Amino acid sequence: MQLRASAALFSLVAALTASKATAQDEHAGHDMSTDSTAGGPIVTAGASGILLGTVVKPGINNRTLAEGYLTQPMVMAMLMTPRRRFVAQLTLNFEGSTLDRGELNAGVHGEGYVDRRHPHTLVHELVATGNFTFREVRMSLTAGKGFVPFGTDDPMSRPFVKYPVNHHLAQILERGLITAAIAAGPLMLETATFNGDEPEDPYDLPNWDRFGDSWSARLTARAGEIEIQGSAARVESPEFAQGGGLDHRKLSLSARFESKGSYALTEWARTREGEGNTTAFTFNSALVEGSVAVGRFTIGARAERTERPEEERALNAFRTPRPHSDLGIIGITRWNVLTMNVGAALPSYRKIRTSTFMEISSQKPVATASPAVFIPHEFYGKSRLWSFSLGARLGAGMKHSRMGRYGAGA
Amino acid sequence: MTTLRPTILLFALTVACGGDNSIDPIINDTPFDLAPLGQGVVNDRFTAELWVNGNTAYTTTWGTRTVNNVQARGDAVKIWDVSNAQPVLVDSLIIPGATTLGDVQTTPDGKYLVVATESAGSMVIFDLTNPRKPALVTRFVNTDIANGVHTSEVQSVNGRVYAFLCIDPRGSEKARLVIMDITDPASPSMVFSQIMGTPFVHDVFVRDGILMAALWNEGIAIFDIGGGGHGGSVSAPVRLGALITVGGKAHNIFWYRDPSTGSKRYAFVGEEGPGSVPTSSVGDVHVVDVSDMTNPHEVAFFNLPGAGVHNFSADEDRGVLYAAFYNGGVRGLNIRGDLGECASNQQAPDGRCDLAKMNRDVAKGPAGVSPVFVWGVHYTGGKLYASDMLNGLWRLSSIP
Repeated sequence: MQLRASAALFSLVAALTASKATAQDEHAGHDMSTDSTAGGPIVTAGASGILLGTVVKPGINNRTLAEGYLTQPMVMAMLMTPRRRFVAQLTLNFEGSTLDRGELNAGVHGEGYVDRRHPHTLVHELVATGNFTFREVRMSLTAGKGFVPFGTDDPMSRPFVKYPVNHHLAQILERGLITAAIAAGPLMLETATFNGDEPEDPYDLPNWDRFGDSWSARLTARAGEIEIQGSAARVESPEFAQGGGLDHRKLSLSARFESKGSYALTEWARTREGEGNTTAFTFNSALVEGSVAVGRFTIGARAERTERPEEERALNAFRTPRPHSDLGIIGITRWNVLTMNVGAALPSYRKIRTSTFMEISSQKPVATASPAVFIPHEFYGKSRLWSFSLGARLGAGMKHSRMGRYGAGA
Repeated sequence: MTTLRPTILLFALTVACGGDNSIDPIINDTPFDLAPLGQGVVNDRFTAELWVNGNTAYTTTWGTRTVNNVQARGDAVKIWDVSNAQPVLVDSLIIPGATTLGDVQTTPDGKYLVVATESAGSMVIFDLTNPRKPALVTRFVNTDIANGVHTSEVQSVNGRVYAFLCIDPRGSEKARLVIMDITDPASPSMVFSQIMGTPFVHDVFVRDGILMAALWNEGIAIFDIGGGGHGGSVSAPVRLGALITVGGKAHNIFWYRDPSTGSKRYAFVGEEGPGSVPTSSVGDVHVVDVSDMTNPHEVAFFNLPGAGVHNFSADEDRGVLYAAFYNGGVRGLNIRGDLGECASNQQAPDGRCDLAKMNRDVAKGPAGVSPVFVWGVHYTGGKLYASDMLNGLWRLSSIP
């Protein structure tokens, strides 16, 4: 409760200051890309959220479900000293209040939610970064709670409102971490050590007694508007917060392009779950997505094929007990997902940015082995699922344009 | 003569005193087929635990099974007439609020049925005055067991009846062992509750005042609860010894008492590795010498390629341990005699004896049936039963 109260107080202050933010309103990968020329520290802040209505057909058991949310409600703040020697960043996420039951998102799983995206933790990100330069080499050291240098940008900062199924294969976030980064020319190398346990609820903090039990490394190369990254991670017992569960060995490769309103990403990710050198389960993902701006409109498309583990469900069929029983699963489902998104920027009201969007997604889940406990077309009632979303994005002050990189790794 | 006389004397003494090998073990180069004699088909739910009491069998159900868009939870106890080889379903119990029934067992006198529930934890006791029509006595819930009762073992200790409940971890709350005194089934009372296991305490085995607990990555621990001579009691167990079996993931235990010799030298530990129901499983049987309970040590193992072990039941008179092996069906292992002594070519690199290489794998079944995913076995009254997640209840032939 103390944490909730502090966060609420902070967010109120941040929201009030958001409209008075400086011209530096671009929160680019948690590294302010614009050099500060001011004499003293600069504080910027912002707030954002999405008003969303979603219909899924069928949602479960051949039933159509329709729900509305305030999703991804966030308050952000950043403190930066001159020449970015020191940067502190805070992102508060209030999905614990607005999305306690999770957001309908067929195929998505993790943190005890299935076919609903889980709410993120209140203290989504609280990190401090020290930046150093030696000749042409940039270096940084980041500590706090935030994004682990692994994989691709957080889906929250990408063009689609619904998360890809591969979120837990392609990103690692909300961990206590120390990240060291070094950049020279077009190359950036980031390494981190962190706690392996995933959050257990929106108000959970990292299990600090597990700090350092996991690691990751990411190598990124940039050439003009193209960015290529390869990363690896070993995450100890992420799903058993107390330890003793299966470890995850993760790989990610991606290529990203962004220029003048155009964006494209292709990624491949693999997570092997096991103990030591023994692999129990392997989950693969391939994803291609992109968007292009045409006048006030942005048109986006995504194609994804991702494998997810199936676990025994709780009485609430959108939840799984955590940790699940023993170390077993009840099968692997391959999800083929196609998504289209059309967005339109609306005139700002005072300093509040607004845009509206419509998103349609089609999912076709298939069990990878037979016989199966989880037979998708039996469970959902159809072999093909549809999701329709309509919403409005609101924002003020600084904004997240990319999420998941700090300091010299940004 | 001087050398022959001591040899004869030694031989005579050996015969007179007997030993672990005094009865010929069942040795067979090719495992016997355990033929299906009858099947009680269950296709609306997944079948899990099994208990047979006289001519009545009880099977539990597990998880969620969807057939023709109808979802059925694991909230049912199926009641079977097993008077004949063909099990006949005679009734069902539905336990509200359960997604899986963790365990089922009757009290030693056969008068009550104890059922464990997940994911909302509870212990449900039924009166078996009419074994085919169990009558609810009580459903016990408290905060110690609310996270889910994964297994329950019902045994008598010094004249009182107890249920040993293994409680699921949930979130930041750790697994625990809870012991309930159910001597008066209408008024169960908790006599012991303690955090135990990493990350699970999965199952226990109780015999002669000794409690053996399967603690997953911690292996097994042995407690005196009234029969070990170290002052332990059910409400205040005294830990005697512990062992991390090879690979950990200690899931269940059976402590064998050979009626022909009285030997209680070996405990059998099931290892449950990460599998995918109902297509894959992994995990060995580990043989632990517990003759010195303060220093248990692993002496042998059994690995079935392509399958992992689950629950046990034994024909103690014949020295056969029946083990459910999920997608590997049922295997019968000859467990009589010295399991810790074997030729060098029957040993693993770490020195443990390999029961497969010792021709101790003496039976397999259900013959001619595929696919299966056998959860449990129960050998009682000379009859062998198996619960199959996919197919229901099997009555199998036993070793000839």
